[in-house]
Amino acid sequence: MASREMELAALPQTSDPPRGLLSAILGRLIDPFRRGVPPEPRPPTGFFTDTTVCIGCKACEVACKAWNELPADGFHWSGNSYDNTETLSATSWRHVKFIEQFPPDNSLSRLVSEDLKPSGTGFSLDMLLNEPKEGRWLMMSDVCKHCVTAPCQQACPTGAIIHTEFDNVFIQPDICNGCSSCVAACPFGVITRSSVDGHSHKCTLCYDRQRDGLVPACAKACPTQSIQFGPIDELHERARNRVEDLHSRGVTTAYLYGDTPSKSYSQLNSFYLLVDRPSVYGLPDNPFNPWLHMKGDYVRAIVSGLTAIAALLAVLFLLGS
Amino acid sequence: METNSRLQTPVALPSPPREESKGSPYATGPVTKAPAWHGLVAWDMLFNGMTTGLFLVAAISELVAPDLFTSVAKTAYPVAFVLLLVDLLCLVLDLGDPLRFHHMLRVFKPGSPMSLGTWCLTIYSLPLTVAAAISLLPGGWMTLESVRRLVVVIGLLPALGSAVYKGVLLSTNAQPGWEDARWLGGYLTNSALMLGCGEMLVLSVLMKHASAAAILRPALGLLLVLNLVPLCLLVVDLRTTLSRIYTRWELCGVGALSLGGGVLIPLFLLFVVGSLLFTLSAVMFILLGSLVIRFVIVKLPHASA
Repeated sequence: MASREMELAALPQTSDPPRGLLSAILGRLIDPFRRGVPPEPRPPTGFFTDTTVCIGCKACEVACKAWNELPADGFHWSGNSYDNTETLSATSWRHVKFIEQFPPDNSLSRLVSEDLKPSGTGFSLDMLLNEPKEGRWLMMSDVCKHCVTAPCQQACPTGAIIHTEFDNVFIQPDICNGCSSCVAACPFGVITRSSVDGHSHKCTLCYDRQRDGLVPACAKACPTQSIQFGPIDELHERARNRVEDLHSRGVTTAYLYGDTPSKSYSQLNSFYLLVDRPSVYGLPDNPFNPWLHMKGDYVRAIVSGLTAIAALLAVLFLLGS
Repeated sequence: METNSRLQTPVALPSPPREESKGSPYATGPVTKAPAWHGLVAWDMLFNGMTTGLFLVAAISELVAPDLFTSVAKTAYPVAFVLLLVDLLCLVLDLGDPLRFHHMLRVFKPGSPMSLGTWCLTIYSLPLTVAAAISLLPGGWMTLESVRRLVVVIGLLPALGSAVYKGVLLSTNAQPGWEDARWLGGYLTNSALMLGCGEMLVLSVLMKHASAAAILRPALGLLLVLNLVPLCLLVVDLRTTLSRIYTRWELCGVGALSLGGGVLIPLFLLFVVGSLLFTLSAVMFILLGSLVIRFVIVKLPHASA
């Protein structure tokens, strides 16, 4: 892997020749209308995020920022556990969530029972492993869901948002004009318009790395295999095996979110293994594709308009004659 | 392609909680992100209704009763053209990168309300421009008059499309409030015709076309009352969201401005008083009420956050 990355880095670097003013203006006007040859479809790829093994190290956030050259968001205290980026944004395409589920009275005396208090020799491994669990910490690395039928892609009026040959949702940065339709359409609150360049941004599923045969930066950096990348069919199989394994080990609350389509939403190419309700993780319990309403909304709008026109015509014919 | 498909190593698993789904900071607010659509979009919605409505009412009136309405319609088209320019300016300025406005025309996606709306507005602007230009020329050219009538007919469908798309654009997305607004498109389209009728009435009154004003006044009254139907249906759609984000007094204030100011007072001014000044005031009240409703609608996702 490392040698492949070094091999790619050693390739000769090229850049576009400088353009004159007129050429630059014409290019700005004409280039968006040019069409390239679409690449051949490849097997769909995606992420499987197993939240039960996430340790909240944020290596994925850092790797994402490093590879995609995203600026820091400015460190500040959010007041929410170890979360200091708070949400996915135009500059944070990965976001690790921390959910602390502890009893209201979480004093040390309750968490560490009398018989587990350290003796003169300190804590033993057995003592720590057998410590009664009064609560839990849920952690989850959130990212764009790369929906198979993506509302953002349906909404985009410029054609900037496309499905790549890997069936991932990708925003073409040279086409987006910052209309924000995608922001409004996304039921997961993923896409954000940048206040710097005015364009929408989100996870590309490391399209550039995939084209070079590399694993996305976040999956590569994840030390616990919480973020797994690969062909989507293979990920589904792996995820189902993992759920079965967890069930057999007593974690009966484990389930997959987004691996199969529902009545109101398509399958997600970035899906999750969760152990609590989706809303606890900041995910919609029942995601809904707004396009399911569109035809009905058009019909109501046209009928209302035609009714008004009919009323106007009635008055014109009655009084105009 | 390389995959990170190493076998899972056994990891100590968290025990299921005694009570499931305890508090989560991520479960309290809306999951969605509100787009940066603010006051400009409310004004855009108003000007969209004003230009398309004025064109539609002028065109229909002129085609049905040319003797009564042609001269008023010939003034209405240039006004509608100016209103369209203001509307387009609002649309362009609201973009994150206004210099890329022309990217809207690189694809035609009927499934995207914004794409459909952009194309409708673009197509609508062509016959409107021609109609406005011919209307400003000195009269007497019968050929040009025929051309004007022809482009007015051609412009009817894209004008209606331009009025229809705006509400569907907002209702076809995942934002709190808007996602429930099934009758938003219905309300805005109906409202566009009502606004257009009001503008035509003002032009008729200002141009001293008493016969045209005598027909448009009851037409406006009828459209005002008719517009209450989609408005009430829209309020029913939004009642949960509205009651969650506004207090009862705030809702009463909005209701008083939009219904009292935008419907009842104009009706009173139109039919009980009825002079020139009061007709103008009535239309101003209608515009004010319409603007208030549009601001409330645009602010729904932001108020929910």
